[in-house]
Amino acid sequence: MTRPTRSRKIWNQETRLAYVLLAPALLFLVVFMLIPILNVFQMSLFKTDKIGRLGDFVWFENYMAQIRDADFRRIVLRSAFWTLTGVVAKTVLGMITALLLNVPYRGRRVVRMLFILPWASSVPISVMVWTWVLNHEFGLLNHTLRLLGIASPPIWLGKPISSFISTMWVDIWIGIPFMALVFLAGMQSIPEDLYESGYIDGVNARQKFTYITLPGIKHLVIIASLLSALWTFNDFNTIYIMTRGGPAGATDILITGVYKSAFVWLKWSQASVMAVVTFLILTIVAVFYARMYFKEEE
Amino acid sequence: MANWHTRGRPAVLLVTGIMLVVMLFPFLVMMTTMIRDGSEIYLRPPRWFPEAPTLANLTAVWAEYNLFTYFQSSFIVAVGTTLLNIVLSIPAAYAVARLRFPGRSFSLYLVLAIQMFSPVIIVISLFQMFARTGLIDSYLSLILSNTVFTISFTIWMMTGYFRSIPIQIEEAARIDGCSRVQTIWRVMLPVAAPGLVTAMIYTFIWAWNEFLFALSFIKAVEKMPLTLGIYRFVGRWSTQWELLTAAAFLALIPVVLLFYLIERRLVQGLAGGAVKG
Repeated sequence: MTRPTRSRKIWNQETRLAYVLLAPALLFLVVFMLIPILNVFQMSLFKTDKIGRLGDFVWFENYMAQIRDADFRRIVLRSAFWTLTGVVAKTVLGMITALLLNVPYRGRRVVRMLFILPWASSVPISVMVWTWVLNHEFGLLNHTLRLLGIASPPIWLGKPISSFISTMWVDIWIGIPFMALVFLAGMQSIPEDLYESGYIDGVNARQKFTYITLPGIKHLVIIASLLSALWTFNDFNTIYIMTRGGPAGATDILITGVYKSAFVWLKWSQASVMAVVTFLILTIVAVFYARMYFKEEE
Repeated sequence: MANWHTRGRPAVLLVTGIMLVVMLFPFLVMMTTMIRDGSEIYLRPPRWFPEAPTLANLTAVWAEYNLFTYFQSSFIVAVGTTLLNIVLSIPAAYAVARLRFPGRSFSLYLVLAIQMFSPVIIVISLFQMFARTGLIDSYLSLILSNTVFTISFTIWMMTGYFRSIPIQIEEAARIDGCSRVQTIWRVMLPVAAPGLVTAMIYTFIWAWNEFLFALSFIKAVEKMPLTLGIYRFVGRWSTQWELLTAAAFLALIPVVLLFYLIERRLVQGLAGGAVKG
């Protein structure tokens, strides 16, 4: 009978120490994360004034108002389209980059370093440079296109559709290097003899990719895509700095919608409804990511 | 090296070259813009290379655009975030890595999930909180909010490193009479130094590049970090792109260099066990 008691005592001591060590971080996250999130939930159920003070409790009226609003529905759909297109493009282009970087040649390390420069750079700053690159009259992209024989290149940031394409592209450009590096690391951990036996069996390059490379990194592709989906969905900087969601709301997604509702239009309950919707979507994806991550760990 | 995968190398190099031009395009534009005189910005037709290259912009931004103030703010915020992060994360990481307690696996889950949240979700609440407590226009507002989004990566990274240290090393130190705190400080931390450095650099970079919180909480020019300070160059009557690109170039140097130091461990930390460094 003595042993269980003793082990429970040690266990208690250990538990107490654990909680003491966790307390500062936990307390910090409760104050600066949990309470703000709960506050947003609360705000979404009330009417609010111009500085976000709570008025009458209105149950889900704010939510209903958003659902009835065609602009809101458009923003939600656009966020989904933005994220899906972004992730697919980043995955495909990242895969191509990884395959290119997996071929040995002299100077490959330098090429690899250059390739990941968009990820290494500060996003807000490279986005500002992109707005200059895309300047339709004086920018060097359109100048280069004209030199290549395209007489009237698009007014990138002036029209709704070309603005969407421009912001989408810059977001993709930022996201390619991460995908490429993860895929490359995965490819390099595939045993060399698998490829050698494939060579003996006379497989061609495409078969090599579909039957050896892809199955070897399948799991990584899923993890990286989920992570990339979260980052793409969250990309406030690219859109806000390039277009502020314009022209005429053509590049607004949920993330910029939250910010503009609160700080530009001072519609705090609308902002909090959007934030809650964003929160729920992110939580679902984050849970998938965490599960995949832990599955991989085991 | 077997020669079977060297076939088709010219094609690989060609495609690599094309993709490199695409990926580096804005940086090339940045380089050729920052070395030109203001009179060579709005040209019709534009020119790829300036007629009279000059480095004057790189010095002009310090004098004319308070670049030093922005650098200073970014530095204070980034260092503050990094320190607060370490103080909060190391004990937590040790607990998760080494101690058994109810809710341990849940807390690991939570830490990973927090990393995925969006700053936008809480920025409106934080703004109200800081407005009420008079923290608008303070470095502290940025340090606190940046820490929320970097703390989980640090805990995550440190947990992994602490776990990889054999328990025997720790037990030996305990037998030699070290307390828990001494053990963490003298035995665990030195061994986990690479992880600690990675987490610190990651946090520093994150805070250096942060834009949304700065945009929302900082209105006073003298408190603005680089991202927001440079953003202020844009959107007046006509942007002085030669100065903006010069400032951008200077602001990028520290973070790009730091990033290259941690890049491999960062990929490993984010993508999990399947990636071996």
